[in-house]
Amino acid sequence: MTSARQLGDILLKVEDVSLSFGGVKALEHVSFDVREREIRAIIGPNGAGKSSMLNVINGFYQPQEGTIMYRGRSHRHMRPHEAASEGIARTFQNIALFRGMSTLDNLMTGRNLKMKKNLLWQALYLGPARREEIEHREFVEHIIDFLEIQAIRKTPVGRLPYGLQKRVELGRALAAEPSLLLLDEPMAGMNTEEKEDMCRFVLDVNDEFGTTIILIEHDMGVVMDISDRVVVLDYGRKIADGMPDDVRTNSEVIEAYLGVMH
Amino acid sequence: MNDAGSSYATSPVMSDGSGQLDTFPKLLLDRAKNLGSKPAIREKDYGIWQTWTWSQVADEVRAFACGLAAKGFERGDKIAIIGDNRPRLYWAMCAAQSLGGIPVPMYQDSVAQELQYVVEHAEVRFAVAEDQEQVDKLIEIRERYPNLELIIYDDARGLRSYSQEYLYAFEDILELGRRFDADHPGFFLDQVHTGRGADTSVILYTSGTTGTPKGVVLTHDNVLISARNGIERDQLGQDEDVLAYLPMAWVGDHVYSYAESYVAGFCVSCPESSATVLNDLREVGPTFFFAPPRIYENILTTVMIRMEDAGWLKRKVFHYFMALARRVGSRILDRKPVALKDRLLYKLGNLLVYGPLKNTLGFSRIRLGYTAGEAIGPDIFDFYRSLGINIKQLYGQTEASVFVTMHPDGEVRLDTVGTAAPQVEIKIADNGEVMYRSPGVFQCYYKNPEATAETKTEDGWVHTGDAGYLDADGHLKIIDRAKDVGKLNDGSIFAPKYIENKLKFFPYIKEAVAFGDGRDYTVAFLNIDLEAVGNWAERRNIPYASYQDLAARKEVYDLLQGCVEQVNRDLAADPHVASSQIRRFLILHKELDADDGELTRTRKVRRRFVADRYDKLVEALYSGDTHCEIASEVTFEDGRKGSLRADLAIRDVSPVERLSDAAD
Amino acid sequence: MQVLYAFLVGPFVQMGQAPVFFAEVVINGLLTGVMYSLVALGFVLIYKASGTFNFAQGVMVLFAALTLVGLMEHGVPVWLALILTVAVMVVLAFAIERLMLRPLINQEQIILFMATIGLTFFLEGFGELLWGSNVKRLDIGVPDRSFEVGGMLLNQFDLFAAAIGAALVAGLAVFFQKTPIGRALRAVADDHQAALSVGIPLKTIWVVVWSVAGIVAMVAGIMWGAKSGVQFSLSLIALKALPVLILGGFTSVPGAIIGGLIIGVGEKVAEVYWGPLVGGAIENWFAYVLALVFLLFRPQGLFGERIIERV
Repeated sequence: MTSARQLGDILLKVEDVSLSFGGVKALEHVSFDVREREIRAIIGPNGAGKSSMLNVINGFYQPQEGTIMYRGRSHRHMRPHEAASEGIARTFQNIALFRGMSTLDNLMTGRNLKMKKNLLWQALYLGPARREEIEHREFVEHIIDFLEIQAIRKTPVGRLPYGLQKRVELGRALAAEPSLLLLDEPMAGMNTEEKEDMCRFVLDVNDEFGTTIILIEHDMGVVMDISDRVVVLDYGRKIADGMPDDVRTNSEVIEAYLGVMH
Repeated sequence: MNDAGSSYATSPVMSDGSGQLDTFPKLLLDRAKNLGSKPAIREKDYGIWQTWTWSQVADEVRAFACGLAAKGFERGDKIAIIGDNRPRLYWAMCAAQSLGGIPVPMYQDSVAQELQYVVEHAEVRFAVAEDQEQVDKLIEIRERYPNLELIIYDDARGLRSYSQEYLYAFEDILELGRRFDADHPGFFLDQVHTGRGADTSVILYTSGTTGTPKGVVLTHDNVLISARNGIERDQLGQDEDVLAYLPMAWVGDHVYSYAESYVAGFCVSCPESSATVLNDLREVGPTFFFAPPRIYENILTTVMIRMEDAGWLKRKVFHYFMALARRVGSRILDRKPVALKDRLLYKLGNLLVYGPLKNTLGFSRIRLGYTAGEAIGPDIFDFYRSLGINIKQLYGQTEASVFVTMHPDGEVRLDTVGTAAPQVEIKIADNGEVMYRSPGVFQCYYKNPEATAETKTEDGWVHTGDAGYLDADGHLKIIDRAKDVGKLNDGSIFAPKYIENKLKFFPYIKEAVAFGDGRDYTVAFLNIDLEAVGNWAERRNIPYASYQDLAARKEVYDLLQGCVEQVNRDLAADPHVASSQIRRFLILHKELDADDGELTRTRKVRRRFVADRYDKLVEALYSGDTHCEIASEVTFEDGRKGSLRADLAIRDVSPVERLSDAAD
Repeated sequence: MQVLYAFLVGPFVQMGQAPVFFAEVVINGLLTGVMYSLVALGFVLIYKASGTFNFAQGVMVLFAALTLVGLMEHGVPVWLALILTVAVMVVLAFAIERLMLRPLINQEQIILFMATIGLTFFLEGFGELLWGSNVKRLDIGVPDRSFEVGGMLLNQFDLFAAAIGAALVAGLAVFFQKTPIGRALRAVADDHQAALSVGIPLKTIWVVVWSVAGIVAMVAGIMWGAKSGVQFSLSLIALKALPVLILGGFTSVPGAIIGGLIIGVGEKVAEVYWGPLVGGAIENWFAYVLALVFLLFRPQGLFGERIIERV
């Protein structure tokens, strides 16, 4: 499916980004771009700097060098709130859900930025705010339907099994109607069946909503099947970038993976 | 059989033999005319119950039928219906029937290979599928069977990028139909009025315990007259609420959620998804409920687990009142005399326990519940009846359009399946086999005259395949499958299903397979119920890593040994079966699974298949071995195969002395 | 033996012999308990939202009461004074967010805690500077009269205070469970980083929480102030909230409410029935002993989140 698809304009361009913590270099002069409607994978062995890259994109980390161009605007670095309101939503490697809250409430928090009524209205929960709440609930119900999580609508997420929590977290990110979705190892710790389910949801999201997706994985197999283009990081450096088939046969990539496999 | 006419509330429907409303589409048009604004069907979608009235349903059906016609659907064509219970799938059935076509509903959890057999055998030209999952299977089938011309889907999710030219959205067909209807006024009504009660209305494929599925051909008359008789017997009216959650391919759903709804004019509700059924049940609060024993069992297990986790006081109160209910509840339900004190306590219990419990279960409005398919555990049966829920047994078959016998009110006895349904005649053949004749009797097995001849006699009697007898009150008692009943080497009768059912009445045992025909004694394979045993283990701090691990634990063996000993005591009490006591058993390392061919799609054990597959285990049970190694192949949900290896322990159980001597 | 009898059996015999009096003691305990709950609630809200123990909660009670009395002394009618006091507490919340919380973002919790101690001294001084340091009488027009119901002596003001307290608690419960802003607050309390990633503005949440805590403090201040006069010791009722929090758990709103009621009833009952045996004044230390017992056996409190590490 990769070659047949029409990709859009450049949505995000990471240029020459370097990030270090103290003396440790997490990213070194990394550049790549992401096109609209694309599923873009970032792969690499553990510790290659994949999560750091996501954290730079959504503003949790501020790189020492480089720029991030998003929707044609250049940023020295993003801020989390700014990234969120510009339509960048994400999930976390170690699920970061509101564990005490129900699935429904978790998804509703994802609508937070879409709530236009001001604070006072919301605090008093009067007329317009209430109507707005109903509209948001309607939207969230579509996501619940989409992700097939109707049965756990009212269940506190802390009580759900791991695979379902991952799905709820994806749901919360989707609730923000993101134009760019960052998925940090969405399939980590899942069994084969859950992985396949998750792959299907990722493809469906891309297909249904036209969402651009950046996906991190350290398992090559799964990602190669569903992504349009792949960036490979190793020790904070980009060692390959291209179509899955090209990347798969790249000698440096094979070496990087063999290097950690022995 | 119109003698009960005075009391049943179904009236403007049809009078026997008038011939006017003798097909589903004619009934629908009449419903739309007379009950137009009343709700016909509901579905929970996006968290809200959406409702369609009879006249809206009639519009949708008309549009869809015209759409099908525009696509070349003709009288006598078969249309496959596959998916969870969805209003549109029911409408598609009626739409096809409007054109004189024949719906063939299929089990939605079948794999493509199983579906392909039915699609090819029934010569299906059109298919209506619920979603991507089903469409994928149908596309796979079409690649090998190009006579499947058109696939229509209800839910478009994930299908946007599919480019197959034979794939249509339900909306597309409706749209097409509305235009066709405008261009051909009168076409639809002409088609509906051409239909006759004697026309084939549906082909239902039975999963069958052996061999390939057989297509049971039923006419409109078969289904509608049976439905009317069922309604009459149970006095169902327009105001019933019914939850449609059982497979559409099953005759029970076809009659209760489709035929009876059209005949009586009551509203049917479709759950949000198969995972939310228990929740939807609570919201709908059906007045009439039909379920196999398994469902009643699941609901009870959920309640019990929740009570075990509840606080101390709550648990005490619950157990106190449940004990009271067990003592007097059924008697109160059957209007038998009960001491005033108990009667008052029961009222209090209703306020504190039964009422809230029924409410959480979704049974607060229930008037009538049926169980069928297999025997129900006495504990489970009593539990519901003692709460004041009127559940009864029904004995039916696809070949009979469901109804053979059922419990009349006030004559509910667990050991029988009730008396003959209206217009049903019953006789017992010389070999003990139960036979019946009724207006619901099927026409034939589709394209299978040999099987038809084997099952149905020239004068319309049908072999049930079950052994049983009628008691003095006219109640039918079923012992076992006629062909399964065998003999132990000492000449005494061996009825495996009878023993297995006794075992399965324990919540810890999910499945059981008993062997003994042509042997010296009885042995059994057991499957633990992961939820019940897992919970039991957790409360006792017994760690386990997996199903296989739990099943192999000594503590679990001890637990099940207790169950087996209890069964032996029961068997010992009845001289006919006292020799069938279980001497040795083992717990299987995997759940018996329909995907591995060990169960049918309706989750009945395929005994021969299991015996062949695990012959090594059977032999070990009959040798002196204390354990046996086994490697077996398993099929995952995605169709991949894997292998499972285990070393199973075998337990000896000492038989109980015959109690008959002691009792004398 | 006799000592044991006096401690373990005697009090219960007394309770049984005079059930009406016992009921009266319990009800009076509940009425006081509502006030404790109210103060503890202020702590819980801030603890949940910013993860810090707000040492200044007690002085906020004093500050709010002082502001109200001060305004009334200047001839402002009660209702207007109430509205103005609410406004002052909201402004205070904005100021705290801007001047204290925002600069300290991402700092250790202990730093934030030290800042609230600073806030305590500031508010105390600022309040006295504005409104003077003498004891003031606060009269909001509800008579402090007792009357008898079924043989029980009840205080009208206490009932009124309890009703207001209960209404406030119920209102807050609805606010946090049912409104979008309440949901956002629960999200922040649950996971800061996740809340940031879905774009919940932490700063707004802080202002809302501190405003609500300020209003709760105001209500508590009015009730206690009207009973015992508005003076410095008012800020000490915060100390009574500590055992309530240990009992109820720092993160649980229902815990704060029930913990308050238990302490209120417990200390009244202890005072009346066991007090005479040890020479009285149990009321002053009973709560702390109870808290100590809890710390030993159930450190997470009655309703606090159980401390379980996920493996």
